[in-house]
Amino acid sequence: MKKIVLGLLAGTMLLGSNHVLAAPGSSARERSGASPQEDYVRVPMPPGFQVVVTELEGPVFADANGKTLYKWPYQMLRGGYVGDEKGKSACTNVVTKTSEGLFSPYPPGLILPDLENRPSCVDMWPPVLADENAKPVGDWTIITRPDGKKQWAYDGQAVYTSVLDRERGDVLGGTNREKLTQMAGRYPVQPPPNVPPGFRIVTTFNGRLLVNSDGFSVYASKNDGPDKSNCDAKCQQLWKPIPAPAVAQPFGEWSIVERAPGVRQWAFRKQPLYTYARDINLYSQEGSDVPGWYNVYTQRTKPIPSAFQLVDTQKGVVVADSRGKAVYAYICSDDSFDQLSCDYPGAPPVWRITVCGGGDVDRCLKTWPYVVADANARSESSLWSVIEIEPRSGRLAKPGEPGALRVWAYRGSPVYTYEGDEPGLVRGDMFGEYYAERNGFKALWVRDDFFKSET
Amino acid sequence: MNTSFQAPVKRALGMAAICASLALTLPTAMAGDGTAPRGGKIAYVATEMYWSVYQTPDGKAECPNGLQKYGPREVFATLYPKGGPEADTHLRREALKFFPEDSNDKFPIPEAVGPIAIGLNLDGKVGPRDFTSPTGEKGIDNQLYRLIGCSPQFRAPEGQFRLFANRLLFQQNWNRTIIELTGVDSLVNDDEVVVNILRGKDPLMTDATGDTFVAGGTQRVDTRFAKRFERQLKGKIVDGVLITEPADVIWPLSVFFGSPSEYWFRGMRLQLKLSKTHAKGLLASYADIDTFYRTVTTWSTHHLAYGQLDPSGFYKKLKELADGYPDENGRMTAISSSIDLTMTQVYLDRGGEPAAIVQSR
Repeated sequence: MKKIVLGLLAGTMLLGSNHVLAAPGSSARERSGASPQEDYVRVPMPPGFQVVVTELEGPVFADANGKTLYKWPYQMLRGGYVGDEKGKSACTNVVTKTSEGLFSPYPPGLILPDLENRPSCVDMWPPVLADENAKPVGDWTIITRPDGKKQWAYDGQAVYTSVLDRERGDVLGGTNREKLTQMAGRYPVQPPPNVPPGFRIVTTFNGRLLVNSDGFSVYASKNDGPDKSNCDAKCQQLWKPIPAPAVAQPFGEWSIVERAPGVRQWAFRKQPLYTYARDINLYSQEGSDVPGWYNVYTQRTKPIPSAFQLVDTQKGVVVADSRGKAVYAYICSDDSFDQLSCDYPGAPPVWRITVCGGGDVDRCLKTWPYVVADANARSESSLWSVIEIEPRSGRLAKPGEPGALRVWAYRGSPVYTYEGDEPGLVRGDMFGEYYAERNGFKALWVRDDFFKSET
Repeated sequence: MNTSFQAPVKRALGMAAICASLALTLPTAMAGDGTAPRGGKIAYVATEMYWSVYQTPDGKAECPNGLQKYGPREVFATLYPKGGPEADTHLRREALKFFPEDSNDKFPIPEAVGPIAIGLNLDGKVGPRDFTSPTGEKGIDNQLYRLIGCSPQFRAPEGQFRLFANRLLFQQNWNRTIIELTGVDSLVNDDEVVVNILRGKDPLMTDATGDTFVAGGTQRVDTRFAKRFERQLKGKIVDGVLITEPADVIWPLSVFFGSPSEYWFRGMRLQLKLSKTHAKGLLASYADIDTFYRTVTTWSTHHLAYGQLDPSGFYKKLKELADGYPDENGRMTAISSSIDLTMTQVYLDRGGEPAAIVQSR
C-alpha cells in the first residue's frame, strides 16, 4: 500500500511538472537580470547548501539541488500544539488516519479524507538528511530524527524540502508572506538580511519591503539626491529621517548622510531614508500617496500579467481580473497532527468543495469560478503561471484530457473570483473556515489600509 | 501705572482673553442658545455598538423557555455521538455555515417574547408583533430581538458577539464610522441639519485606562476607499436628540481581524442624544439578513460555539422572522432591528497641512 501511495504522489508531482505551461520568463523563479535583488549575510552553510534569491521571498536557503528549505515551528492552535520543537522533528513517515481535534469546536478522532492516497508528513516534507560524518557549522546543527537518522537544523529548527517545489527558486510549500500563510504552516528558511540594526524586511505582494524594527514602513523621496537629503524643517514635520548612530559605518548598499554636523541619516542605495509620521499601520503604503515619496523595497516582484489589473476596494488595493472582479487564492491545511496542506492541485478536493459549494461541485464552480486563461496568456513573473486542470477535482489534467481547463495560477495553485462580488468589492475575502486561515479564500491584496498593510 | 485696582482688572481681562482663546479651541462656541458647534459642524465617531437586547435580571420574563442550548458543540455531539469521517461530520457542519439553506436541522431556538423591546417604530404603525419600548412607546419594530434576545452570544455582559465584537470595533480602524453634523445652529433644537456618514482611519483616543473613550480626538477621513460607505442624511435636532430620516446605509463592521464585513441597513434612522462630547442612543433599521448573517458568521465556529449559536439554525430563524423589504417573490430580505450606539466627539482631518506631528518613530 505504501508504494502505491508514494507512486500516486509522485505521479501527481510529475504531472505538475509536465503540465505547468511555462510562459516566457516564468521558468526564471530565481531572480536575475538588471533589477536589483536583495543582499543577505553570507553565513556558514553545510557543504552543498546554497542561497537562492527568489522573486517573492527574497534569499532562501536551498539544498544542493536548489530546492528551498522549510521549517515547521512549534505553534499553538486552539486544541493544542503542533510543529517541531527546537532540536526535534515531529514529521514522520507514519500516515495519520484521524483528525487531531486541534480545530475547536470539532473533536479529535474523525477519519481523514482520502485515506487510501494520503501521504505521510515525510512524503510531503522530505527531511534534509545529514551524513553520518556531518559536522555542525555556524547556526546549522544536526538533530536525531525519531527513526534515528540525522537531519539538518537551522537555528535549532529541523529543515525539510517540499515535494510541491519542482524547480530551483520555487517556494510553493509555504510562504513568509503573512496574508497567505497557512495555519500552523511551514515557512521558507532565510539567511539574515544584510541590513543595519533597526531595520528589517517583510515579504509583501509588491516585493521585499524595507521597514524599521517596529514594522513601520521606510520611505525615500524623489526630491533627494544621491546620498543627499533635501528634506527641510517643514518637510521633517511629516518625514522623520532615520538616524544612524554615531558608531555606524557604511557597508554594502548602505551609506550614511550627514544632515548636519553629528546628525547622521541612513541611506539605502544612496537614497536617504525616512519614516512617515502619519503612518498608523505597520507595513503601510500610505506615505507613497504623497507626491514624490515612495516605499523602499530591497527587490520588487515582476509586474502582474496583463490579464489582471489592480483595483481600489473598500479595504485597499486588490488584484482583479479583466472585469475588475477581485481575485482570490485558496488556502487550506488539514486537522491532522501533520497539518498537511490541502490547497495544491491534486490535494483531495473535499475541503475546497465544502467551502465553495457546500459539498456540491457544480455550485462550487458557479460560486467560486476559476480565472480562465486565454490562448495568449503570458506572465513575466514566475509567481504567475497558466496550468491545465480537471475543473471538478482541481487536479492537474493529463495530457489531452477532455474537459481540461486552462486557468491562471498564483504560486502554482489556481486563482478564483467570487460570484457575490462586483468590481470594486471584496465580499469573498476571508470566506471560509476560521476566517479562511484553515480552509477558505483570501483576496490577493496589494495594499490593505486597515488591517496591517502587509500584503 | 499699576494700582491695586488695576491689577485685578488686568487679571480679569487676562482671564477673559484666555477663556476667549479656549472657546475657539473647543468644539462649541457662543451662538444662538450657546450650543452651536463652531462653524455649525460637529463630528462623532462610533465607539460602542451593541445589538439591542432588553434583559431582565434573571431573563425569565423575556426568555421563559430559557436560553439557546444548541450551539455547534451540542449539535455536533447530538448528530455524531460516535464521530465518523471528517467529510461527513466536521466538513458537513462547516458547509452548512456557508450554505445554510441546505440545512434540515430542527434544533429548537427559543424566541424572546415581549412585551418590551428596545428600538424604534420603523413603519409608523402599531402591529400585533410590535413591542413596547422600556419607556412605554408602542409600535417598536425589532423582530431581530426575538432571535437574539435569548442567545447567549448576544446577551450582556459576556455574550461573545457583544463583548468581542465591540472590543474589535475599538481595535480595528476598519470600523471607524463617523457622523458629521453640518448646518447646526443649536445642539438642542434645529429643524434641519445634514448628517454626513464618513469613515475615519485612526485609532480611538482613550483615557489612561485604555477602556474609556474621550472626546477631542482626531480622525483622518478616508477619502479613497470609503466611497461605498459615504452617505448624506437629512435630520433634525429636537430637545437635544438627533433624529434622521430613513436612508439605506452600508456600515463597515469587522468582527475579526482582517475581515471586510459590513452591515446593510435599510431605512436606517438615528435617534441620538447629543452633547458636546457624545452622541448616544439608537440606530434602528431593517437589517439586510444576508449581510447580517455573513457578518455574524465571520466569527469562527469556535467563537460561535461559546454562545451556542449554530449558524444554519440561526439563519433559518432569521429568514422566518424577517419582516421588511420583500424581494420580487415576496420573500422578506431584511429584519427590523436596533443597535445601542455610542459615539464620541472627534475632529476631522481631511488632509492638507498637519495640525501637529502625530508621533515620532
